Amino acid sequence: MARDPLSPDIDWPELLRRSFGPSFWIFVGIAGLLAVICYAVLGPDAFASAVDNDRQMLLDLLPRVAAAQIVAGFIWVLVPRERMSAFLKRNSGKRGLVIATAAGCVTPGGPASAFPFLAILAGSGADRGILVAYITSWALLGIQRIIVWDIPLMGIDFSLLRFLIGAPLPIVAGILARRLPFSVSLEESPPPIEPHK
Amino acid sequence: MDLGALIIYAAAVLLAIVAFARRDMSFRFGLRRALEQAITLLPRMVFALIAAGFVVKLIPTDIIVRYLGSGSGVTGIIVGSLAGLMIPSGPVIAFATAAALAAGGASVPALIAFLTGWSVFAAHRVIIFEIPLLGSHFVRLRMLSVLPLPILAGCVALFLTKI
Repeated sequence: MARDPLSPDIDWPELLRRSFGPSFWIFVGIAGLLAVICYAVLGPDAFASAVDNDRQMLLDLLPRVAAAQIVAGFIWVLVPRERMSAFLKRNSGKRGLVIATAAGCVTPGGPASAFPFLAILAGSGADRGILVAYITSWALLGIQRIIVWDIPLMGIDFSLLRFLIGAPLPIVAGILARRLPFSVSLEESPPPIEPHK
Repeated sequence: MDLGALIIYAAAVLLAIVAFARRDMSFRFGLRRALEQAITLLPRMVFALIAAGFVVKLIPTDIIVRYLGSGSGVTGIIVGSLAGLMIPSGPVIAFATAAALAAGGASVPALIAFLTGWSVFAAHRVIIFEIPLLGSHFVRLRMLSVLPLPILAGCVALFLTKI
């Protein structure tokens, strides 16, 4: 029986395969190896204090990260992606760069949603400044990443400072992309990818 | 509880209410996505944080302080940017490293340069998504366009934290 992709039921076997796949065991292996090295090099006392630090850090971070996942899940559901794409296509120039930066900032989801969106933009004729500004903004200022990673791990002051400093940078990158003396035309990129109907 | 945690908890409750008020499937889909992401991420994140904690314990604090600490100035920004460029993986490792470096005494400008360098280059994303979807010409153009950003961000941070 084919599974409905929009079914609210979770495909547990697939999900567990993904979360406890090879990369998980690599992380476990590296952590174990480093623990052994730490014990061998620094001795039992320093090892015990490292374990204590790790335990403190995890207890401190995990509840926030869990809440952050809930925020990210709802943002992903609530933001209208199709309307954003149409809006970006209609705007160009400096204003386009600002809009592209704002769009990148609010695009929810990881690279698996941002890059296909970028390809759709490229295929629909957005200029290279817009494309570079959009993806730079998503990477640098993506609200979801800030909520999930920056704030819980680095604190609110640091996150805010990083966001404020980063805010003009996608526009700088977009201007540079427009000025660079390259014969990069978008015809060189693969044919447009149709959004899923 | 600090302000950052408070904002996250409040945002979670607020968005849940908004999604629920729509009276469509938004609430269930949102929760489902949150659960899926948490289960996908958390196991790896726990061990990445443990590993990063040990790494920082192993790197003598004075080395972190000398190359990335508050006295490191522009050197710290350059070292931070280069370190960021060289992390070819997702946010799990990048942020675990950043948090551990912060605990080890790295300065704010160096950490901002590090995270900016990592976000705009992230080699794994280039290989998995960007080259297949947009082609290598676009990648070259984008790489050159974002090259100055980590240094720029670090220097602005240095300037802002000095005044």
